[in-house]
Amino acid sequence: MATSMLCRRTAIFSWAIRRVSPLKSYNPASSHCGLLHQIANYNPKPLKLNLKDPYIPDRESEKTPEWQKTAKYDRKLFGRYGSSSGIDPAKLWPSHAQLEEMIAEEREWNPPLQVMLKNVEAKTKEANAKRLAREKLVAANMAKMPKMVADWRKEKREAKQKLKDEKARRERLLAEARERFGYAMDPRSPKFLEMVSEIEKEEKKKRKLMKRRLKEEQSHVPPASSSADSSS
Amino acid sequence: MSFTRKPGGKALDILQNLPRISLANLRPEPGTKKAEKKRGRGQHGGNRSGRGHKGERQRGNRPRLGFEGGQTPFYLAIPKYGYNEGHSRRAQYQPLTLNRLQYLIDLGRVDPTQPIDLTQLVNGRGVTIQPQKRDYGVQLVGEGAGIFAAKVNIEVQMASEEAIAAIERNGGMVTTGFYDPRSLAVLCKPVPFFISGQPIPKRMLPGEDMVPYYTDAANRGYLADPEKIQKARIALAQKYGYILPDISKDELFHMLSMIKDPRQIFFGLSPGWVVNMAEKKILKPTDDKLLQYYSS
Repeated sequence: MATSMLCRRTAIFSWAIRRVSPLKSYNPASSHCGLLHQIANYNPKPLKLNLKDPYIPDRESEKTPEWQKTAKYDRKLFGRYGSSSGIDPAKLWPSHAQLEEMIAEEREWNPPLQVMLKNVEAKTKEANAKRLAREKLVAANMAKMPKMVADWRKEKREAKQKLKDEKARRERLLAEARERFGYAMDPRSPKFLEMVSEIEKEEKKKRKLMKRRLKEEQSHVPPASSSADSSS
Repeated sequence: MSFTRKPGGKALDILQNLPRISLANLRPEPGTKKAEKKRGRGQHGGNRSGRGHKGERQRGNRPRLGFEGGQTPFYLAIPKYGYNEGHSRRAQYQPLTLNRLQYLIDLGRVDPTQPIDLTQLVNGRGVTIQPQKRDYGVQLVGEGAGIFAAKVNIEVQMASEEAIAAIERNGGMVTTGFYDPRSLAVLCKPVPFFISGQPIPKRMLPGEDMVPYYTDAANRGYLADPEKIQKARIALAQKYGYILPDISKDELFHMLSMIKDPRQIFFGLSPGWVVNMAEKKILKPTDDKLLQYYSS
């Protein structure tokens, strides 16, 4: 791989005929794979490294700008001119202090694979748990639905019924008033209201009488039955 | 026969007697060159020169594109929605169709007898990657899976299922690997990086959102378990209905099974080495701490 990368340096524009099989065979057409691969070796752009006339700045002089004395520029000099640039190759790598900084930064921003896998797992677990909880809630509510629907329908029916009853009662009272007084009167007038209250009182009395009678009947009947039993 | 026929015959005579080819002897194939429309010349190109009659059209004073005469234009009337939100922060993967890959291999721009890497693709000008524009690499797209017929060991950053199936059907190997932006820049343009004199950096691991992708054997991730990858190969062959060729019997098995270390950017080069182009040398660090850092 490295060789094919550095083969950019070939200055010959040629078609290299390479056979698929690594074995040498004299007859290229009859290589046992039957395949001939032609690979184009492009004439690469010349690497203008300017090795004959290098500019290597004078480190001691004051006239050279500051940026030409930095470590970054030294690395670039070494990369272009090699050892003839006069730079100690050990300077190319970070110093111990810089290395410590790099390690700290990496530890903070690039956690190891195991930590990341754990985080991913935790997140997926949480998401699944949330989803499950929501689905359970939805299912529970859906199970309640038939009852809720029936209740709502019953309520609606009852309300309707109540309205109808109210209307019927009001009409009855109006008719009653009409009968008594002989003319259709306004239900909001005081006479009407008096009549309504009278009717209500009468009905109450009737109900009380009915209750008493029922009680009396009930109280009479057991002694009668007991006397009948004792007599028979 | 006493009379020996010259090979070529009359054609060769003609060739030898005709004058040399020059611009005076050449003319384009009829139908390839269409005459240019010349404005402001002649009966048809002249007069109003194709600009219409008076008004903004002829005088070149039409309003801006999208203006609808005062009515709220379409591009302002439609309300915004977050489709493009954060688009400039999203990772982009340049698509590489199998058609294109086959084309490159056929023309010899990419060498199938060596592992195919993003560097090889860029060298052969097969794809154009801009690491500075949120490109995170190349994705293999299944278009052309029907005609793809090359046995390659290819390493991309993302791959669709059909593409993986097409390559494995032909006896090749696919791997998906992650390159962080700095490593990607180094990978795409290795020579300018070497000239800058920096030691080869180590590849960083993907972020938490991409870790599930690269640890999944179905995507042939470089962090996945090799056994699971083998099982996934068999499963994919069953799904797509082809017999999985046994690459261990292949003569190029060593090349096909070459996979990079998760921290490695180039085959054959480790992180921490300095490659010098001027003297064609590789410099390796000897300090313990540096070695420990670069091999972690």
